[in-house]
Amino acid sequence: MKTYAVGLACSLVVLTAPAALAHHSAAGVDQAKTVTIVGELKEFKWANPHSWMDIAVTDEKGATKLWSVEMTAPAYLARAGWTSKTVKPGDKVTVAVHPMKNGDPGGLFVNITLPDGRVLGQSPAAPRAPQ
Amino acid sequence: MTTHCLARTIAALTLACATALPLAAQEPLGALARANLAKPRPKAPFDLTGTWFIDQRNSENTWHFNPTGPFKLTPAAQVHYDAAKKAQAEGKVYHDDIGQCWPAGLPLIMTRVWPIAMIQQPTAIYMISGFMNSLRTIYLDGRPHSDPDVVVPSFNGESIGRWEGDTLVVDTRYFVDDHHWIDSGIPASDQLHIVERITLVNNGNTLQIAYTMTDPKSWEGDWKVTKRWTRVEDTDIAEVSCLPDLNQHMPSTQSTDNVR
Repeated sequence: MKTYAVGLACSLVVLTAPAALAHHSAAGVDQAKTVTIVGELKEFKWANPHSWMDIAVTDEKGATKLWSVEMTAPAYLARAGWTSKTVKPGDKVTVAVHPMKNGDPGGLFVNITLPDGRVLGQSPAAPRAPQ
Repeated sequence: MTTHCLARTIAALTLACATALPLAAQEPLGALARANLAKPRPKAPFDLTGTWFIDQRNSENTWHFNPTGPFKLTPAAQVHYDAAKKAQAEGKVYHDDIGQCWPAGLPLIMTRVWPIAMIQQPTAIYMISGFMNSLRTIYLDGRPHSDPDVVVPSFNGESIGRWEGDTLVVDTRYFVDDHHWIDSGIPASDQLHIVERITLVNNGNTLQIAYTMTDPKSWEGDWKVTKRWTRVEDTDIAEVSCLPDLNQHMPSTQSTDNVR
């Protein structure tokens, strides 16, 4: 397995609660914190109600953990520029997530920095509505 | 008449009778039975047909059902409520049954942050939530509620609607009482009873529902709250299912810290 250095950049950023995007409670997620992980994409699932990524992340001590990153529904990812082929297994990815409060390797997706420098997030679930 | 001729005559008569007899409509009629749809009825004051989305323009928290006015839980419900508050303070999820693939059920299914497709017929309104494709039917054909000894309890209950002027009044009962929550720590029981007063405002672009909910097993008196939805023209609902293998990749549903 390839290993990558981990870049942990923690910042206290107050963002709007993404709980409503999820199909379940996000009480276990630290939405006030954003962590950036760098690793090898093991799997990317383009599916309803959630897309997700599994990313193998290796820390400074050489230990590798599999991070599961929850994403929103494909319809809202597509509005932010995603397709089912934006990333593929084996890609080195840099992903910002709101981490789990209990330290489990995983969290809610915030954005991804692609190899070409593009940054893709996810659109709010609420679609445009007539006034 | 020869035997051969008699047989041909009987066969011809049998065929004629079979083709002349319409398929008899069996009572009670289904909501989409042609004979039911064809019954004369006053024109409905409005048509909900369209795709709707919970109005979050002023707040992202509008999907919560917060009671307005005095509100007191029963001792049994208070135990759940206090435990949910404690879990939340500890950063844990309390009985997140929706995350474990149980249906949201009424009323929460109406305010999930997913579009709802509504199709109105003279006899019924069909609501299909983009959230797990949950189906809710509001019958408008004059039928009464089902016999309580026959009806099958469900997460969305049995909804019977009637028109009162420009308002559709919907009475819903017969709910599942397990794994069914109004909000975190507030259980819905089999005594839950919901009355919705539905109106269409803002030139047909806003759907408003005034809820009055009672559940003597969970709280005292009436729980009143009003919600709004906006009509959206640029989206459809998709096939959405909660699947075990999907959940394996959702750290928020898999955390061993969650209170189940």
